[in-house]
Amino acid sequence: MVFVGIPAVVVLVIAALAFAGDRGGSGGAKRYRPGRPFDFTPVWFLSRPEHLADSAGAALTAGAQAPALTSRKLEEAGTAVPAGGTGGASDRW
Amino acid sequence: MTVGEKPVEVGTRPEVLDGPFSTRQLLRIDEALRIADQGTGLVFSVFVGGLDEPTRAHAERLHSQLAEPSRSVLIAISPNQRQLEIITGKEARKRIPDTYAKLAALSMVAAFGGGDLAGGIISGLDQLASHAGKSI
Repeated sequence: MVFVGIPAVVVLVIAALAFAGDRGGSGGAKRYRPGRPFDFTPVWFLSRPEHLADSAGAALTAGAQAPALTSRKLEEAGTAVPAGGTGGASDRW
Repeated sequence: MTVGEKPVEVGTRPEVLDGPFSTRQLLRIDEALRIADQGTGLVFSVFVGGLDEPTRAHAERLHSQLAEPSRSVLIAISPNQRQLEIITGKEARKRIPDTYAKLAALSMVAAFGGGDLAGGIISGLDQLASHAGKSI
């Protein structure tokens, strides 16, 4: 009982807690992992939705697909000329 | 209205919660954006999703759709392509030279390489806002 039962119970409890932790979603499946497919909905964060030129931007939220990705905007984007004089940087990981 | 806020019907789960960010991370990103905007007078935005090739041109098109592109800074992140693009508008570029944007990009990709999207975004916003300085 002491040398088999109690250790077995302890092992089972720890295994159950570890299993529960994996399924709990605290950084598990939702987390981005480099090299694995990223199939989440595109998100566009703005401090205020009215910062988007399109009036549809008023309804933009962090989780909504950006208006930039709608078919109409994609058509416009194909011909739209980016504002001149832009700068910035590019990088990869 | 800030990021993530919208009149959501009771019982409806916001789509953003199905993304790669936890609620706490979303709040931190929201706060970082607000602080960056208020502190600098520029408009910061972050796009996380697929970018068409060439990614730079696509990011510039997204940037041009902002209300005030010349005063705006767009951080576009494509996790599948492992590509980061920082676009600064004409006015914003005077406050954040390309050299500093590159420095921020370096620290961001270091975090992204470790799988920390939210941390990279927040540190990048902080660096860019710090370099831009206070609004005049």
